[in-house]
Amino acid sequence: MSNAILVDTTKCIGCRSCQVSCKQSNMLPSEETHLEGRNSRLQNPPVLSAKTFTIVTNYEVDDPKAPGGLKWVFAKRQCMHCNDPACASACPVTALHKQKNGAVTYDSAKCMGCRYCVWACPFGIPTAEWDSLAPRIRKCDMCFHRMVDAAVPAELNGTPLSADTKQLLVNSQQTPACVKACTTGALKFGDRDSLISEAWGRIKASPQNYQPHIYGEKEAGGTGYMYLSAVPFEKIGFRTDLGERSYPSYSATIMKAVAPGSIVLGALLAGIYTVIRRRTEVAANGSKQQKKE
Amino acid sequence: MTNHWIDIKNADVILVMGANPASNHPISMHWATKAKERGSKLICVDPRFTQTASISDVYAPLRPGTDISLLGGMIKYILDNDLIQRDYVLNYTNASCIVSEEYDFDADSGLFSGYDPSKRRYDKTKWKYVSTNGELSEPEKDMTLAHPRCVYQLMKKHYARYDFDTVSKVTGTPVKDLETVYKTFASTHYPDKAGTVLYAMGYTQHLVGVQNIRCMAVIQLLLGNIGVAGGGINALRGESNVQGSTDHGLLFHILTGYLKTPTASMVTLEDYKKVATPKTIGKNSINWWSNTPKYMVSYLKSMYGDNATAENQFGYIWMPRLDDGVDYSWLNIFDAMYEGKIKGCFAWGMNPACSSANTNKVRPALAKLDWLVNVNIFPNETGWFWEDPNLGIKPSDVKTEVFVLPAAASIEKEGSISNSGRWMQWRYKGADAPGDALPDADIMHLIFVELKELYKKEKGKFPEPILNLRWDEYFHHNEVDAEAVAKDINGYFLADVTNAEGKTIYKKGDLVPTFGALLEDGRTSSGSWVYTGSFTQDGKNKSKNRIREKSGIGLNPGWAWSWPVNRRIIYNLAGVDKNGVPYNKNLPVIWWDAAEKKWKGDVVDGPATLPPMAMEGGKLPFIMNEEGLGRLWSTKLEDGPFPEHYEPFESPFDKNPFNKQPFNPASKIFNGPMDKRAISGGSEFPLICSTYRVTEHWQTGVMTRHTPWLLEIQPQIFVEMSEELAKEKGINAGEVVEVSSARGSVLAVAVPTKRIKPMTVMGKTVHTVGLPWCFGWKTANAGDSANILTPNAGDANTMIPETKSFLVNVKKAPGKTLLTDKAPAARRRA
Repeated sequence: MSNAILVDTTKCIGCRSCQVSCKQSNMLPSEETHLEGRNSRLQNPPVLSAKTFTIVTNYEVDDPKAPGGLKWVFAKRQCMHCNDPACASACPVTALHKQKNGAVTYDSAKCMGCRYCVWACPFGIPTAEWDSLAPRIRKCDMCFHRMVDAAVPAELNGTPLSADTKQLLVNSQQTPACVKACTTGALKFGDRDSLISEAWGRIKASPQNYQPHIYGEKEAGGTGYMYLSAVPFEKIGFRTDLGERSYPSYSATIMKAVAPGSIVLGALLAGIYTVIRRRTEVAANGSKQQKKE
Repeated sequence: MTNHWIDIKNADVILVMGANPASNHPISMHWATKAKERGSKLICVDPRFTQTASISDVYAPLRPGTDISLLGGMIKYILDNDLIQRDYVLNYTNASCIVSEEYDFDADSGLFSGYDPSKRRYDKTKWKYVSTNGELSEPEKDMTLAHPRCVYQLMKKHYARYDFDTVSKVTGTPVKDLETVYKTFASTHYPDKAGTVLYAMGYTQHLVGVQNIRCMAVIQLLLGNIGVAGGGINALRGESNVQGSTDHGLLFHILTGYLKTPTASMVTLEDYKKVATPKTIGKNSINWWSNTPKYMVSYLKSMYGDNATAENQFGYIWMPRLDDGVDYSWLNIFDAMYEGKIKGCFAWGMNPACSSANTNKVRPALAKLDWLVNVNIFPNETGWFWEDPNLGIKPSDVKTEVFVLPAAASIEKEGSISNSGRWMQWRYKGADAPGDALPDADIMHLIFVELKELYKKEKGKFPEPILNLRWDEYFHHNEVDAEAVAKDINGYFLADVTNAEGKTIYKKGDLVPTFGALLEDGRTSSGSWVYTGSFTQDGKNKSKNRIREKSGIGLNPGWAWSWPVNRRIIYNLAGVDKNGVPYNKNLPVIWWDAAEKKWKGDVVDGPATLPPMAMEGGKLPFIMNEEGLGRLWSTKLEDGPFPEHYEPFESPFDKNPFNKQPFNPASKIFNGPMDKRAISGGSEFPLICSTYRVTEHWQTGVMTRHTPWLLEIQPQIFVEMSEELAKEKGINAGEVVEVSSARGSVLAVAVPTKRIKPMTVMGKTVHTVGLPWCFGWKTANAGDSANILTPNAGDANTMIPETKSFLVNVKKAPGKTLLTDKAPAARRRA
């Protein structure tokens, strides 16, 4: 089962609880931010970074049919957790990896610091710790760390946990921190296929409230974060030029040829080497014999 | 709240007005979203297109301070189209009551009868019902509602002036938006439909704050929306425990449980009982406050224990008194402090240097104190006021001695909080307080012990209130025992109590099970009668209950404990017809089980033995009112029986089409050198300004400005304005500008937005700007408090200052910056 998160921007109130709970769950430092001196819509921090894995963007979109003639749309942005992630494909040492549960995770022990992933990502997500001497790549891991370390206490406020409460806590641990903090249900975590059918269900039930499109269902080969919106996605800062093919698939033919290619090439070179070596040996032996003679 | 948070999901229409819950109460939107998923409509009425507006089905802008005009128009719309819930209005409200000829309203002057301009006060005795002069004077009624002096007809006449065109002219709200709001909300007049209103400081912080709420309450009564699931008047409290603090007597004019504070003229306990206990009007009225003597004596027994005896009037003689007719609320305190009349001050969990309106008066007032004790969890602008670069006094010249006492944060101590829905929920201690920080109660204890010793030694002027106070039993080794306090708030039997047959029903030392058992003779104690029943004899602290409701309408009776008597929706007797059948059968709150002869569902609002109205002994549902009826017309408020539109204290208009008053004629006005007012309609300060909160910061930001994850998201003070105004003034986004009022000025980052639009009001273009008030100069680069701008003019009833509508100007400030700290990064790191 591959998990995903559905972001229904029509339900988001921009409270940014997800943003803060992300910092808390990942124990990320704060950034020095200002409003002063930049064209601000009260969004902060301005961009994703090694210290900030998620931000809530907001856009004011004129819409004569909307109440007040305006749509104020909030959208949480972070790693999209692609089905076939370009970052993982570009990584020479498999430090980035698409997990079976849907998360794209990073292992700093394997990372050699080449930053190919930063260049490969079509969404511009992975960031290096530029101010560190041994920079890691940082990005959202769909709270993979929470799911792995899920631990439930034996008692709560001195009372042993009931089975119900235990299950409640386990479920809560198995949910990404941002989704858990969401007050309105704008974020929903679950099986990707069920979320897709639920999203289409919402669109069909109230077509006047939604664009007939799930962003991320097919973009870049499909992503683990998917979005619903009342306004066209290009108006709220989403790339709409990505196509439906996954990025690694463009280079798949040549990349898949690398391994067999290198065996063939290796064998060829080994053969040449053996032949040359034999010839050199033969030639050397011949000269020795000549000296004896 | 009459209802509670979860109940928002039961509403068919949710009107958010004078509030922005999506920003300031995000969790409430969980329940609003649930309602919307069922097809309910969310209406947002706000000068700004807020985060709440962003998910609303209907949005209507209005000029700040014109809520009564808009709501008065809704009353007219409901009456004109006969959209009242007739059965409810006839039986449960005072619509049919006949009003005495002495009551009058002059539409031209905007004054009700009984006004004394020299005192700026009404003689409220001019406003009364016509009633028979029996022991229980019965109000005269006309159930056809045709009598020209009945409340219904007087109301109709009063609001006849609030037609669409006039309302639109005053509020700036387009007529079509008014129509949509009225039509949508009035659709809840059907018995099986409910509308709720969520309000906060946008209603209250006006000269007419109480009347704003009353106006909405009148609408809710007309539509039959009080006492039902998904209905009610719901105040979204601004702090997690502000409900608890008012329940427990934090305000000057009430003791715990909303008992009146004694005044100088109530010399004896008998005087108090006579004056503070309202007289019942009508034989069908319960008049719950007739129990005042029982609650007061039980409160006194809780205060003074065995020292309170019948001989010393249960210690009433030791209670502090107010001077009659004098208001001791916030604005008056700081006025007196500025005048040098107050020598010492405890600022306890408070930051008046930033939170108070007109802080340019408050900050120098602090410098006039001999001593200031600042109790807080973080350093704040109040405790360090002498360091304020703009105070105008050198720190070495400030004579005030400041003591800083570090307090434990809420999670570092045990105790209960009471949320907006009146739910008392126990909280456990999660961590030890750092360093020398102590829980508030422990700090008070240490001070009290010292004080008591001093009084013992030196006697002093009036030692009895201190020496006789019950105290020590709540503390062990100088640490408070929170459950011992909770038990005392619940109350004890101090002697055996027997029934009519002489059988002992309660033993001495037992906890009192319900306030129905409290007595006037000193045999019971209760620290706050509304909480009686929260801690039971079997040792159960009910605020610790944590049982989730599996089915039902969301009352969750097993989760925490709700005052009074775990009743989740108050006035629920109004949600059933005279036979006890719920108006809305799909969402019944209570219902009469004829076979078992008892109420089912929520705890009935009245004695448990009460039968439905139609049966022998049945009573009226609004049990806290003397007449038992919901008041469409009220004699209780300082500024009139019907809400009337008055312009704000500072308005862009010196005239309005409704009346000739410049602003609320019953509001107290200060006239000192620091009490400055911009002239209404003047050109110096042409812009309307409002202050508000943001999600990321709490109140003045003392807690949240010290939380780097929050400061990162909302780092600096900003001023929001329309793109049109920014263009007119040549202001760019992100530029630092100066916002000034008659009282002072602040620098703020300009945020031009489509979310505020210029309005056309009385033929003139009006601009509104707004600032958050969560910042203070002690946080590097953040800017100062927006309360430098706000006026210290208050509501006629509560004296809450009018910070939601006042006048300012905005100017470009070339070369100015908010950056005070050139290398602040290290200080900001988590």
